[in-house]
Amino acid sequence: MQTSWLRHKGWTYGFRTTVLLYFVILIVLPIAGVYVYSFSEGWAPFWENVSDPIAWKAVLLTLGLALIATLINVLLGTMIAWVLVRYRFPGRTVLNSLVDLPFALPTAVGGLMILLLLGPNSWVGGIAERLGFDIVFHQPAIVIAMVFVTFPFVIRAIQPLLEEMDASAEEASYTLGASRAATFFRVILPQILPGIIGGGMLAFSRALAEFGAVVLVAGNIPAKTLTASVFIYGEVESDNNLGAAAVSVLLLTLSLLLLWFINRVQRRGGRA
Amino acid sequence: MDNGSLNIQLQSGKRKKGLVLLAAAALWGTLLTGCSTPEGAAKDAGGAAPKGDVTLVIGAYSVVKDSVQDIIPLFQKKWKEETGQTVTFQESYEASGTQARAIVGGFEADVALLSLEGDIDKLTKAKLVNKDWKEKPDNGMITRSVVAIGTREGNPLGIRNFADLAKPGVKVLYPNPKTSGGAQWDINAIYGAGLKESERKTGKKDPAFAKDFLKSVHANIESLDKSGRASMAAFEYGVGDALVTYENELLARNKQGAKYEVIIPDDTILIENPAAVVDANVDKHGTREVAEAFVDFLWSEQAQKVFAENGFRPVNQTVYKAFEADYPVPPGLFDIQYLGGWKEVRESLYSKRGVWYQVLAGI
Repeated sequence: MQTSWLRHKGWTYGFRTTVLLYFVILIVLPIAGVYVYSFSEGWAPFWENVSDPIAWKAVLLTLGLALIATLINVLLGTMIAWVLVRYRFPGRTVLNSLVDLPFALPTAVGGLMILLLLGPNSWVGGIAERLGFDIVFHQPAIVIAMVFVTFPFVIRAIQPLLEEMDASAEEASYTLGASRAATFFRVILPQILPGIIGGGMLAFSRALAEFGAVVLVAGNIPAKTLTASVFIYGEVESDNNLGAAAVSVLLLTLSLLLLWFINRVQRRGGRA
Repeated sequence: MDNGSLNIQLQSGKRKKGLVLLAAAALWGTLLTGCSTPEGAAKDAGGAAPKGDVTLVIGAYSVVKDSVQDIIPLFQKKWKEETGQTVTFQESYEASGTQARAIVGGFEADVALLSLEGDIDKLTKAKLVNKDWKEKPDNGMITRSVVAIGTREGNPLGIRNFADLAKPGVKVLYPNPKTSGGAQWDINAIYGAGLKESERKTGKKDPAFAKDFLKSVHANIESLDKSGRASMAAFEYGVGDALVTYENELLARNKQGAKYEVIIPDDTILIENPAAVVDANVDKHGTREVAEAFVDFLWSEQAQKVFAENGFRPVNQTVYKAFEADYPVPPGLFDIQYLGGWKEVRESLYSKRGVWYQVLAGI
């Protein structure tokens, strides 16, 4: 009786409206704004900006490098999550809390660290140079920067799944004589796959957008080491906001399509 | 990223839509930095000055920071002696283009010190600075410099001029004029050196030759950095054999302990950096008198000496005489007029499909 007002329908509606408004104001409006702005002068200038070889090559390069960075993070992230959940060793909790550090560190500082540790004056960079390949200011450095800033996503997505996994399925698998590899691929992997895909998608999107670390460690040379985010920054700096918006739209659309596609594949896989 | 919310999303059945939106939000992060007008950079300018004390807001480009911070106490002392007023300063230092955009976007600077005339033009276009700003001494230019080449200690590759940068195996660094307006000086210098070369060979300036000259140097580019400072940072981490930047930048770094060999090519461009009172803002703040006095003070021997000590070439001839040995004039020195003036340069070199774009895209 006293609490009936708490159950009033208005609360539900109010809550829903707030959440929806939040989405619209924070996410839908700005993104729609970019689309509207980039087409504000019609299709022709949009096409001119997007068909600029420097622009689309930057987008392609970014997609490729982000994909490599994501694959590395999926492999490494799965392994690290596995170790952090399944093994008990001194320093585990410390390591576990260190995982999130790349989020806390300004990415420009991350970029500087890469320069310092892998530059020609460092021993890693020195060895690489003697072997005849360059790290900093070339594509490897961009991938490393992307891996660094997206490091926590996959780990944090898999960890809870591993922790809550029912041990009995795994035990049953061993009892029935399955090898360790077979158990991993047929029992464990399917259970953590949503985490891998979800974390990987986040990592991929974040890698596409990375600017602070990349601009420092990349040579920013068109078609070789100029990523989309740095290109967009350059367009803004040289007062071509329309060009910046157009390339942003290209990047946004491509990644939305990709996310949507992965989503569909995942959903179908779930039903099968 | 909040760890908890991520977990909830991953476990809930409807997580996928959430993820798409989250990913979109992550992307939006770049767009915000990419597309927004610099309103975020607008700072409160402190409002109108109370009687007695006065606040002056300086919007300057980053390179001039050390000099301005040395000049401010000198001016404060002088102003106090003359009027009894205490001037407090609010200073903001950004890349020149960013600073100009911030002021246009609402950062209420009283005085603007920028690295090139084009950036002051942005302020006149926005009706913030009156068109007569060049009626100050030296056309409104407070400092000079030249575009120089910085090499490793002892100049192991024997680089003497821009043509040497095109030699096989030389790794060159310079900032991209697209991301750093100040870097236009660097590209102007190389392009202009090409024009000079063609003039010596054929008797007249040949833009096609100059473009090929720029292309041949650009073929050796190791990194197109975000700014002159970023180029120097990369160079000091061991990347590249030579970088193209302002003489004053190199001298300032050497003063801080870096070991650049500063090479002044025979053919190079004279850099001139302007300062102006932002008329719209001083009228709003009632700070015109002190702002004008501060800008005028930048041409005083005292201030010019500070600039000279920080690596700039003074515009004041008396002060220049005292520092002449440090700042030799290269025989082939040319100024922006040699390239046809800023308007022409902006159109032919830096317009959308201009020479610089063609060099970048390899056309």
